[in-house]
Amino acid sequence: MNYAQHEHHEFVEASTEALADATLQTALVRLTDTLLAGNRRGYAALADSSELRDHAKAIKEHTLSHLDQYLEQLEASVHRLGGKVHWAATAEDARRIVVDIAKKANCKHAVKSKSMTSEEIHLNPALENAGIEVTETDFGEFIIQVAGERPSHLVAPAVHHTRESVARVLSKHLGEDLPDDPKSLAMVGRRVLREKFRRADLGITGANFAVAETGTVVLVTNEGNGRITTTAPRVHVAIMGIEKVIPRFRDLPVFLKLLARAATGQTLSVYTTMITGPRKTGELDGPDEFHLVLLDNGRTNILATPFRESLQCIRCGACLNACPVYRRIGGHAYGGVYSGPIGSILTPLYDSVPLNPHLPHASSLCGACQAACPVKINIPHMLIGLRELQHEYKPSRWEEWAYHLWSWALCQPWLYRWGMWAARLLMRWQAVDGWLSHLPGPGSEWTQVRDFPAPAAKSFRDLWKEMQT
Amino acid sequence: MTPRDTFLQRVKKAVSDGNRAGAAPKLPERCGVGYQGGGPDLLERFRQELANAGGKAYLAADRDGVVRTIQSIVQPLNARRILLSRGGLIDRLGLPNQLNEIGFNARTQNEIGPDAKEDFFAAEVGVTNVHRLIAETGTVVMAAQPDEPRSASLLPPVHIALAERSQILPDLFDLFDLFSPAANQTPSTPPSCLTLITGPSKTGDIELKLVTGVHGPGEVHVIVVGE
Ligand code: SF4
Repeated sequence: MNYAQHEHHEFVEASTEALADATLQTALVRLTDTLLAGNRRGYAALADSSELRDHAKAIKEHTLSHLDQYLEQLEASVHRLGGKVHWAATAEDARRIVVDIAKKANCKHAVKSKSMTSEEIHLNPALENAGIEVTETDFGEFIIQVAGERPSHLVAPAVHHTRESVARVLSKHLGEDLPDDPKSLAMVGRRVLREKFRRADLGITGANFAVAETGTVVLVTNEGNGRITTTAPRVHVAIMGIEKVIPRFRDLPVFLKLLARAATGQTLSVYTTMITGPRKTGELDGPDEFHLVLLDNGRTNILATPFRESLQCIRCGACLNACPVYRRIGGHAYGGVYSGPIGSILTPLYDSVPLNPHLPHASSLCGACQAACPVKINIPHMLIGLRELQHEYKPSRWEEWAYHLWSWALCQPWLYRWGMWAARLLMRWQAVDGWLSHLPGPGSEWTQVRDFPAPAAKSFRDLWKEMQT
Repeated sequence: MTPRDTFLQRVKKAVSDGNRAGAAPKLPERCGVGYQGGGPDLLERFRQELANAGGKAYLAADRDGVVRTIQSIVQPLNARRILLSRGGLIDRLGLPNQLNEIGFNARTQNEIGPDAKEDFFAAEVGVTNVHRLIAETGTVVMAAQPDEPRSASLLPPVHIALAERSQILPDLFDLFDLFSPAANQTPSTPPSCLTLITGPSKTGDIELKLVTGVHGPGEVHVIVVGE
């Protein structure tokens, strides 16, 4: 199965659709503004936040450059605790492993806590085909599971929904007529999902981190569904990408201090659950069996290249909120499981560079993503690197001609000056309140979905000249 | 070669291929970077941070104070079924008896036995001890053990945690030092489940409207016992 779920060439169509969707536009502005403000507040309130981010990055750099050793250490630690480690080279391996675990333990009802890794391997259909009921228990994920959609944001998967559409989706699913206020809808979610938890015999989670030294798997949630998923069912399966391992237990708080601040501005997410093996003798709850599935699925290919830095990502979503492109087109347009700036890197690398031609260009390279990133990943640099990889990219005849004309004009100072003067005059004459709502020719594509700022009254060169005299 | 060995072989190769471009940096030591501390008054800082996260802290001088506080929390809820964990302050204060005497249906998990899923799901209030509190973030730290089931602080809609003043740590880093060989002489391995709880369960999945209690407790109360 393909990594990307959209047809590969749909980026332009999907983003055009998103831009025309007024409800989505409102939701995106509300979400990204709130979370980005939280991100800035979070960093500002944390002493040495920049140094701590450097430190977190250095831990990741070290771990990735010794990854084989840490994976072996992690395996040994989990075995010592009585857990089991499984190695999944591909998504298909991972699906088979999880289905086998479920069958062997005779599990029929699975509950899942939000996990991008399980999205990535398309786990749910495989479990359902094996006759196992799967329920997403993060409230947002539950909504989109019922609606039959994909998550559109790393931490707010149902951002593209309104209260009315959620009420519609859940009412239809439950055969009840539900009111559309968020509180009652969430309480309906609690009631329905509690029943699922009570019956569940298999809990499936991702992992935000795993500690090699102790074999600990860490889950961070705000709702608490991750906790119930690892408390009520008798079998727990955690699926994680191999890049999630960190060396020591005491390295964990470095990331915990940054993750929630970067994602929402909270000092810590409501729940951080650190699972170290199955339940111990005498304990009344928690799973009897603990399985850890280590997933490669293309990560080693990235590890061997200069794009290794992208594996430092801790999936906080901050780069999405900061990105002027994501903020307009939302998550679905990116076509992959991961969206936003980091998705524009991961999707081509996991899937195929030639089949995702638009993604490395879905960025203004403004650098807002890197500024927001808790591990300071140099996303713009890697996007440029991906553009370089697109060997087959050929400019159109028209584009080539335009660049020729442009370079010739730049070599004729008189023509350049005259052209700029004329363009400025024309544009200022056409502008309303400093904005142009229509540009002629190829510029019209730009103004279809946004306005163009009118030029300033005086050019920089004129101002410079005035200052000199 | 087993699939495991092939897997690790490939990682090893990718690591060395990638390392050739950059170096293989050493594991850095933190050396105090990012330590926030809890200020001069740990309890006050804890109280503020917990309030920011949507929870509430109380100070109780003695057993009567604790019972009165619990009563004042539970009474308006119209809840009767209280689930208590064992050991620690709960035993020392004789809380199960105290609460039963004033008319609640208070049970510890010895009374509900090992197949107690239904009782855990049915409880209306969970009363627990804590492993530690963290002043910097207003966090309650729970460590799973036979006396302290995970469900007690998780499944009931209301969680009341009892702590002693001496259990408050200034900073999140201090908690992890307790489990770390280098920073501590007598390290302990982490429990099967170590949980940090910072305020009530939250979701903003519908139009970013904050709703509490969607899965975990919608109310978190922390009673600190001491002067
Ligand atoms: S790249 Fe950085 S900012 Fe973006 S999700 Fe990953 S960790 Fe967060």
